[in-house]
Amino acid sequence: MTGNIGELFLALILVGISIGISYYKKINLEKDLLIGTIRSFVQLIAIGYALELVFNLNKLWLILLVILIMVLVGGQTAGSRSKGSLKEFSISTFSIGIGAFFTLGLLLILGIITTDPKYVIPLAGMTIGNSMNASALALERIHSEMKNKKDQIEQALSLGVTSTQAVEGSFKATVKAAMIPTLNLMKVVGLVQLPGAMTGMILAGASPLEAVKLQIIVVYMLICAVSITAVITARLSQNTYFTKYHQMIVS
Amino acid sequence: MLKLELKKVTRKRVVKNGNTFKDMKVLKGINLSIEPEEIYTILGPSGSGKSTLLRLINRLEEASSGSILLDGIDIRELEVLNLRQRVSLVFQVPVMFEGDVKNNLLFGLKIKNESETVELEKCLELVGLESNFLKRDSAELSSGEKQRVSLARTLIHNPEVLLLDEPTSALDPTATLQIEKLIKDLNHVLKLTVVFVTHNLSQALRLGHRCAIIVNGEKIEEGKAEVVLKNPENLLIQKFIKGELVKEEN
Repeated sequence: MTGNIGELFLALILVGISIGISYYKKINLEKDLLIGTIRSFVQLIAIGYALELVFNLNKLWLILLVILIMVLVGGQTAGSRSKGSLKEFSISTFSIGIGAFFTLGLLLILGIITTDPKYVIPLAGMTIGNSMNASALALERIHSEMKNKKDQIEQALSLGVTSTQAVEGSFKATVKAAMIPTLNLMKVVGLVQLPGAMTGMILAGASPLEAVKLQIIVVYMLICAVSITAVITARLSQNTYFTKYHQMIVS
Repeated sequence: MLKLELKKVTRKRVVKNGNTFKDMKVLKGINLSIEPEEIYTILGPSGSGKSTLLRLINRLEEASSGSILLDGIDIRELEVLNLRQRVSLVFQVPVMFEGDVKNNLLFGLKIKNESETVELEKCLELVGLESNFLKRDSAELSSGEKQRVSLARTLIHNPEVLLLDEPTSALDPTATLQIEKLIKDLNHVLKLTVVFVTHNLSQALRLGHRCAIIVNGEKIEEGKAEVVLKNPENLLIQKFIKGELVKEEN
């Protein structure tokens, strides 16, 4: 596998098989599969050129801009999975941004990584991607907690506790739910699945031992970013369900 | 103990009607004056705004207009968390917090680190439960026991007013009478002002004192329960008593 254009077209046979299955079984996904194939192709080619440019220029402001765009797209995606309001977009973007910048910043300060875009950007991508999922899960969970536990929360409020105290149980459940995918990844990493970073390095010719070392750092980085994102999303989102007089807004 | 006054209190809510939203008046200019240490019953059919009234007094909701006064002070001028402990609300269906009864009683206090000073057994005794209930899993209690625990966890704050939102509606006749007796005792022993919401006429008569009848968000009658309920002049009350008050009228 060299990634030349001929191989890319040959790989389209795999998509053809998928479209064939959909057509044969009348699943009616042919159009979606075709659009998805074209979209992913265009997106990845564009990103490939953009990253080539960023890597060659090697400017800090450009790296930060790329990460910022990733955070905004991640925030928009996570926010739209729930109610899709501007408030949720802001909460997700802020939470993902803090999680990503804090984690990457710490890795830089500790000297584990350098500002070389070849390291920073892929690591930022993984951090933001996982944080995005955590934020989306947290938004969904907190909403269902507020809706389903409205009576319990109001009875707690009526006893004179603050809204933060009244939803403490829901807050913990939300953070746990948001972190489950990353915790599961930690449990099975290397046993059930070979994660992206490790797979990429092995495919690029690195020794498995080298790949594993990087993957360990990636897993620790993800758990840090995800926990920060989950906590901030849950707390900020929970606050939107109450007035300043600790009255519940959910109808 | 506290005097509770409601002056021209209204509450509007936005309700969805098909694809449009409209303002619905849940309470329409309610005036009430509840004396200290009184058991004041609020009667009315379902959906008449009785529960909303209690939620406004506990400030779980905000009145759209008018004012609610506690000993002459507008409740909006009081610190809301402190108000909720002074004017406690007991719900129609009590929801227990996770854990045992002790955990439930301490809920409002534990997170404020005041738990050491509270006499839990005394609170349980006030609601007619033995001290061995403290270790019982709250999820396994009967409806009547849950309602008693719910009462006890409000009494821990030494409230001055007790707001009761149909606290016996899910109970059998025996448990209902027991809770009624308990409320009377608490009113007598602790000198509590009690506002008791119900749609049960005989309950209002048993609890005595004064009552108000609310229909469709409006107070249509007020006075001594025996007088208001036994010889009503108002046609709506007559229909309510006979159980003939249909939805279009209320």
